Amino acid sequence: MRILHGSRWPGCPHPGGRASLARLRAQRSWAGEGTRPCIFIALPFLFLLTVFGQDSPGSRRPSVTLLPNEVVSVARGHSGTVELIFRIPPGFHINSNVPHQEYLKKTELKLDAPTDIVVRKITYPDGEDRSFPFAPQEKINVYSGDFTVTVVVRPLKTVLPTKYAVHGRLKYQACDNAACYPPREAPVTFEVRVTKASSETRHKNTPQSPHTHP
Amino acid sequence: MKRDPVILIVVAMVVSIMLIFGIQKARHGSTSSGSNKILNQPAPDFTLTSLDGKTLKLSDFHGKAVLLNFWATWCEPCKIEMPWFVDLQKKYGPQGLQVFGVAMDDASPKEIADFAQKMGVNYPIVIGKEEVGTLYGGVQYLPSTFYISRDGKVLDRVFGLVSRSEIESNIQKALSTQVAEK
Repeated sequence: MRILHGSRWPGCPHPGGRASLARLRAQRSWAGEGTRPCIFIALPFLFLLTVFGQDSPGSRRPSVTLLPNEVVSVARGHSGTVELIFRIPPGFHINSNVPHQEYLKKTELKLDAPTDIVVRKITYPDGEDRSFPFAPQEKINVYSGDFTVTVVVRPLKTVLPTKYAVHGRLKYQACDNAACYPPREAPVTFEVRVTKASSETRHKNTPQSPHTHP
Repeated sequence: MKRDPVILIVVAMVVSIMLIFGIQKARHGSTSSGSNKILNQPAPDFTLTSLDGKTLKLSDFHGKAVLLNFWATWCEPCKIEMPWFVDLQKKYGPQGLQVFGVAMDDASPKEIADFAQKMGVNYPIVIGKEEVGTLYGGVQYLPSTFYISRDGKVLDRVFGLVSRSEIESNIQKALSTQVAEK
């Protein structure tokens, strides 16, 4: 803020709010006599920013993360859908689940569900066909930003109604515009609250004969 | 508002030069401290198995300018460089260049060999190991290329894909070195 509104550096606009800045502007041109030293003081800082602020391959590690997800309630014996939203850091992309090139590593969710929770289907979003500076003629099917993988789970009819954690990992391989990073795995955990089916509840509320329950 | 055009031009030129310098410096991995340590040092020697089952050592190429390229079949930018390396090996091979590929891959040797054959690779490729990557400061992203002088010192290293002309320029620098007299 100080730099925006003025600073105490010699030759730079002095702090004192918009009024003094406006006065200075009226007195001096942008690159006029008064502001020249300011420009030359700022240049070394710009230089340092340019050299050390440059993103070289590997200066940032691409880590795909699972965004916090809500607990999904699923009646036992029925199917429920869980949406898992993953986030890829800006500047990176990962191959989709169906990359066009056979040798590319596809993004894949592997789940180790509890024995009584069946993972019925995992659906991946369509990737985006993109060209990159390293292969301008080639289209690569990728995910970038946020993408959602849906998982259909079905608790067995016999499972105890309670909350279950499903663990797994998302296998992916990321690249930026110039380099690729070794395949990695992101930990995945989501919870499923198994409830009794409504038909079960109705059945339980049915009045019973006093002979069966003395 | 008056603006001194000379000052503006000078500022624009300085900023442009700084940007170019900054990008070059970043590409050469100035922030990667691990691989910095081996610059101008003897290239760490290693022994690995080639795709045709032979045992190859880096020191086998002593006296040659070596372009040591860490790559993988899943690395798209690596695939762009490989035909360049093939051409450059043909062009500079007679002058003493040796391109040497290290596949940092979890694919089988046969898959790597098939891939290399498709790419028309005319230089030796060995199956890499994590330890070898560690010797070179930890190869955490691909492609990673090291230029080694005729007397076996690491002249430069480049991370990520760069232009063919930059690769060629680095090769010429490596070729211009002399073998140290024993």
